[in-house]
Amino acid sequence: MTANSAGTKPFYPIAELYFYLTADCNLNCRHCWIEPRHLAASASSSCLDPALFVKIIDQAVPLGLNRVKFTGGEPLFHPRIEDLIDVVKKRGLRLTVETNGTLCTREIAEKIASVDNAFVSVSLDAANPEIHEWIRGKKGCFAETLTGIRNLTGAGLHPQIIMTLMKRNPGEMERVVRLAESLKAGSVKFNVLQPTARGERMFAEGQAVDIADLIALGKWVEEDLSKTTILPLYYDQPPAFRSLESMFNPQSGLGCHTCGIFTILGVLAGGSYALCGIGETVPEMVFGNAARDSLRDVWENSPVLNDIRSGLPARLEGVCAECLLKNVCLGSCIAQNYYSRHNLWAPHWYCEEAHRHGLFPETRLRQTETIK
Amino acid sequence: MSESLDTKITANPLIVLREEFDDWALLFNPDTGNTFALNPMGVFIWKILEQGELSSAITRKVCESTQDAPPDAEKQVEDFVLEIVRLGLARKEGERDS
Repeated sequence: MTANSAGTKPFYPIAELYFYLTADCNLNCRHCWIEPRHLAASASSSCLDPALFVKIIDQAVPLGLNRVKFTGGEPLFHPRIEDLIDVVKKRGLRLTVETNGTLCTREIAEKIASVDNAFVSVSLDAANPEIHEWIRGKKGCFAETLTGIRNLTGAGLHPQIIMTLMKRNPGEMERVVRLAESLKAGSVKFNVLQPTARGERMFAEGQAVDIADLIALGKWVEEDLSKTTILPLYYDQPPAFRSLESMFNPQSGLGCHTCGIFTILGVLAGGSYALCGIGETVPEMVFGNAARDSLRDVWENSPVLNDIRSGLPARLEGVCAECLLKNVCLGSCIAQNYYSRHNLWAPHWYCEEAHRHGLFPETRLRQTETIK
Repeated sequence: MSESLDTKITANPLIVLREEFDDWALLFNPDTGNTFALNPMGVFIWKILEQGELSSAITRKVCESTQDAPPDAEKQVEDFVLEIVRLGLARKEGERDS
């Protein structure tokens, strides 16, 4: 945040736009928090208009844009993905691509690699093909993903491998790290299954890992598994559950990795501006549409965005209100919290669940006596 | 350490130190809600400040506590203590509570 030219009203740059480029996906992942339509075709039929993409970028650059993320659906399912990458490159923007890897041809990999400092993450939920394909909903996709990763490394990139944890796959974590090493990946990130959209159904079906086990796995990754590899390992849980050293020691190189909610806006495949991708499933988190609305107007005048700016972190509720790291964490994921409770200030489910079970770290709470 | 800095510095007694399993700690200001992370050396210095100490003595105690103090240890300690004071977590002798 900086002062604007008038020196009075805070100015928040749009540092990054998250483009949910396609409303459909070539895979059918059972945990997806966006829930795109599954499409068995060679390219998406419901995707962001490239002309609208250029218009959005043109409006965002004067507002501070320096980075874009391509996600989905499946971003590489966009029939003109290479043109979109060219736009990013020509504007000198940083590029992040989140992909399932199955459509990452050698040509696309080289195109991505042509953007300075491009960062790619590829989803790989197991080293066992059967488990990965059970999660991803398509037979044969394991081999396709590995080919995509090899195309990326062949182009000089070192993608991050992202593995989402659910009841069926924690036994695969170490094997995924070994596979990532052999594939010359750059890092491994372990995501926790979120109770959103299809993920919510997995929670209801008892396919989520228990909170006690999630916390124990995080500790194991940080204290043991990370010592067995040269790859940085990220375990994506709220900062309250991470050691201070892992977050604040510059030599660890891991950082806090907290939500950039103040400087990020989502763009859905239809051109809607939204709170990250949650607008796909929660209509009130859509703030306008690029086809008819000025980005500046949406960014500066959306009541929800302004509420978030003025309310975070002070208005956080529940255990988040008591957490000493709330200034860093900002509720971990406002989109997730809103999805769960239809309340922007609701506590994050992970922290709330841990607190309910007496597993929230006592030293991270304002009042230690609140621990039962 | 500069002469002007060689005054007694004392931790703000309102600040709460929360030590953790790995010798890192959080400093928490209940008045502002602000929280700061301290590495083990920061915790060591904080405990000296809790007793109140001349800034030159803080540096000496830090250097005595470690076999491998870097050449710029004195400057690092000085900067750290100045930052602690600037953040209102400690005060120099003669300064009033805010």
